[in-house]
Amino acid sequence: MMDERREELAGLYVLGALAPAEQAEFEAVLGRDPELQRLVAGLYAARDALAGAVLAAAPSPGLKQRILAELAARDQKVVPLPARETGRDFPAIWLPWALAAAALVLCVVLYQAESGLKAKVREQAARIEALNQMADALRSETNMLQQAVAVLRQTTKLADVRIALLNSLLEDSPKAVAVSLWDNQQQSGVFVVQNLKPLPTDRDYQLWVLDPQNPAPVSAGVFQVDPQGNVRLQFKPDKRINTAGKFAVTLEPKGGLPAPTLKNLVLMGG
Amino acid sequence: MVLFKVKMFGDENQTVVDQDVALLRSISEGDRGAFSRFYEQHCKLLFSIAFRILNDQKEAEDVLQEVFLQIWDKAGSYNPALGRPGSWAVTLTRNKAIDHIRAHERRSRLLESASTEILARAPGAATANEAVHGRADPELVSSAVAELPADQRKAIEMAFFSGLTQHEISESLNEPLGTIKARIRRGMLKLRERLEGVL
Repeated sequence: MMDERREELAGLYVLGALAPAEQAEFEAVLGRDPELQRLVAGLYAARDALAGAVLAAAPSPGLKQRILAELAARDQKVVPLPARETGRDFPAIWLPWALAAAALVLCVVLYQAESGLKAKVREQAARIEALNQMADALRSETNMLQQAVAVLRQTTKLADVRIALLNSLLEDSPKAVAVSLWDNQQQSGVFVVQNLKPLPTDRDYQLWVLDPQNPAPVSAGVFQVDPQGNVRLQFKPDKRINTAGKFAVTLEPKGGLPAPTLKNLVLMGG
Repeated sequence: MVLFKVKMFGDENQTVVDQDVALLRSISEGDRGAFSRFYEQHCKLLFSIAFRILNDQKEAEDVLQEVFLQIWDKAGSYNPALGRPGSWAVTLTRNKAIDHIRAHERRSRLLESASTEILARAPGAATANEAVHGRADPELVSSAVAELPADQRKAIEMAFFSGLTQHEISESLNEPLGTIKARIRRGMLKLRERLEGVL
């Protein structure tokens, strides 16, 4: 037999009228009391009936599409680094070569960065030494990749792939660098970033494609970087791109904007 | 006849609940089709509740959008032991709408709305239950709601639609706290008893 006190609490609970501390206390009891769970389930049904007795109103027909679009936009900024990728949007046939080419460009950039550091910052010799070792390792890989790219070019697999290097425009992140690999035929690409500053949760980086035949930059989605400042993502611009002239990254409010905030340019290149 | 109707709707509702539980499971695995079906199943009722609380089409749509994104994110944490999927979605909607009002510092609007007769409606106007379920089932529900004593219904509506705590309701109605608790308890139990087997 349920006592009145618990019935009172159960009624207030399903109506959301308990104070937070009371609610937590009630939920702790509810979790281990099947009889109370049955009472609450019945009261929920009664509450829903009451709630449904309001006048009927309907959301606008476009709301569902807006919600689905929001989910799609979230997907675009999910950027885990899988071991291997396959799929229609990014054919496996040239993906390994494209990634190899990206690594090649990054190797060169890292090597240049290392040389600059040597000249400027002698006190960081230990770190430079580490970079040297990495550069040596990358250099040997570079030779292999150069040969691979040469073979690939011969087979015209990369004929439609455009590789663009984006440099940092930020004084506080001079080492930030990115490479964009764009397949015009597939209208999709891969974007690889290193050493970009991580953002607070209310901001996003937004990628833009500058098409000489489009009057305005075309958004290619928003993204965040990991705590080390790195990210790799696949992107698909909002509109069809005729020629990918340049690529740019801006700093924008969460979710991005329809047009770039030019004063917040972070990376640019082509 | 009424008993037959009660049994019939009880079975139908159990099927709907089972379908909703399956949809939430699929949603938790990233199934957009299931999400779309769950939206179609519940959007009218949830929007009607949000609109009733906020009295603003755009704000109600904003709340509904937040609620469905929350459902997408948290479908895996839904616990069937603590109520039906529909009840869970109603709770999310009600709480989000009340939070929306509080976030915009419109406490006065809550109090103002608490003073209005919530279920008063023009003759012939459809309720959310009618819009969602059809004709017969909501008739039983509506009569059960309408037969609640006015003081009990008022206290229940102030708690649910206006987001007032039991203490705030007591102050607003200038009645002892114990009286408010008792009214809510009696009203909710009466409603549950009337609707047992239907919902």
